[in-house]
Amino acid sequence: MPVIWVMTMLSVRNLNAYYGESHVLRDVAVSVKQGEVVVMLGPNGHGKSTLLKSICGLVDQITGRINYKEEPITGMATENIVNLGLIYIAENRELFPHMTVLENLKLGAYAKNARPHEKGNLEWVFDLFPRLVERRKQLASTMSGGEARMLAVARGLMSNADFLCIDEPSLGLQPSLRHEIFSIIKQISKEGKTVLLVEQNIPQITELADRIYVMEEGQISFEGDKDEALGNEHLREIFLGM
Amino acid sequence: MFSEDTILLLYEITDVIIAGLSMGSVYALMAVGMTLVYGVTKAFNFAYGDFFNMGGYFAWILIFGLGFQFMGYLGVLIIVMPLMFAVGYALEKLMIAPLRKREDWENKVMMLTLGLALFLTSLYTVVFGVRMKSLPPIWEGTLEIGQLVFAYQDIMIFVLSLGGIGLLGWMLNNTRIGMAVQAVAQNPVGAKIVGIPKERIFASTFAISTVMVGFGGILLSQKYFINPMSGGTIMIKAWVVTAFGGMGSIRGGLYAAFIIGMMEALVGWVFGLSYGIIALFILLIATLVFRPQGLMGKGG
Repeated sequence: MPVIWVMTMLSVRNLNAYYGESHVLRDVAVSVKQGEVVVMLGPNGHGKSTLLKSICGLVDQITGRINYKEEPITGMATENIVNLGLIYIAENRELFPHMTVLENLKLGAYAKNARPHEKGNLEWVFDLFPRLVERRKQLASTMSGGEARMLAVARGLMSNADFLCIDEPSLGLQPSLRHEIFSIIKQISKEGKTVLLVEQNIPQITELADRIYVMEEGQISFEGDKDEALGNEHLREIFLGM
Repeated sequence: MFSEDTILLLYEITDVIIAGLSMGSVYALMAVGMTLVYGVTKAFNFAYGDFFNMGGYFAWILIFGLGFQFMGYLGVLIIVMPLMFAVGYALEKLMIAPLRKREDWENKVMMLTLGLALFLTSLYTVVFGVRMKSLPPIWEGTLEIGQLVFAYQDIMIFVLSLGGIGLLGWMLNNTRIGMAVQAVAQNPVGAKIVGIPKERIFASTFAISTVMVGFGGILLSQKYFINPMSGGTIMIKAWVVTAFGGMGSIRGGLYAAFIIGMMEALVGWVFGLSYGIIALFILLIATLVFRPQGLMGKGG
């Protein structure tokens, strides 16, 4: 196989994270190359979200090394990390409930580096999520679960980030919406964004993923491409639901 | 038609309404500042009333201490308002922000600001003495419509307070920093995720509230007096207005301020001025018993 040099966007080494007394991540190592869609699978409560939050500066107690575009970002404040082009899209959406869809989106472009691109990005996310166009004057708190999820992803895209950490985008969605959101993520990836995505156990995730990691009890228990994952009996049973 | 007594009564009632409106508008200014800080940082500032005095004293220093006359009150405001902002910002950064990293910081902030209030009261006593101070009226003279007499001062207080609130409202809804303040109040985690620098927003919010109450201080010191202790009364009033309106609800604070301003003027007229504070406490107790979340509070 020819070796093609692709920039490593994100590299995580020896990452340990703690919430008070509990040791959530244990020596985690993950790397994501430019343009990849990497999926982190694993049961609930085993540290997948904590990994994404640690990367984006949302966990206070971490040790280890996180490099983004070959620069260390460990322990950096979230606002600076966002400004470098890394964004966290939360599983529970974390919208601003008493603001309209449009206001939520505009706040997504709060980072300094996102401001000059606000207009262009707004057009882009309205293209990706046509549903949000007609709802742009609606308050975020009055949206259905699926729409709120779309808004959360769209708000993340407004940050002009190159690297998206998406936390369980399909959680609680009906299959048709799930499919829709996955195809949008695919589209985003085609447009050059790099994606690190956390999911629990969805079969169709394999068609989206370039590579798969599995996290169990705060440790990486599997790393490989799609075919390897599908060939692994343990994974097939537990996470892919086949 | 009407007997002379009835007409006199009508004039008196008009006076009461005007007094209520001008008081209410300043209370609104102060309550909005207080509720804004509470809504954003969830911490309570016990030194709030002493920033009211600070505004009044700064203006007093300028006008009487330094003989400042440039552009009248506008010049005073142009100097004092940024000064209040700077004081508020610096205090937040130096004293409150370090506490926020600790556990149970909301209570620690309360204790700290309580100490700050005592310190400021003593500081004012040392610097200005215990004698009451008053500022010259922003606009002397009266407006007479038929038999009705309005003091321009009252009108100015009313207009400027509402102007201040309007300006704040406009800022909150139309500027980037205003939207960021609302974002932090509505969802601190979400605000952090999108890259809003929370620490800076906290400090700015605190500073804005300092400006609002300081502005209130300048306005009311023309009509009433300030002394080193008057911060305590103002603090209690601002607190009752905020609690009655609903903690964290700006709209509730506005309604509450005018209701309480009117109530004070009315009680003062019927029973005498010193009964105002009693009425205030009765209202506070009634609020806490029957509607603890306040007029428009979100409960919890």
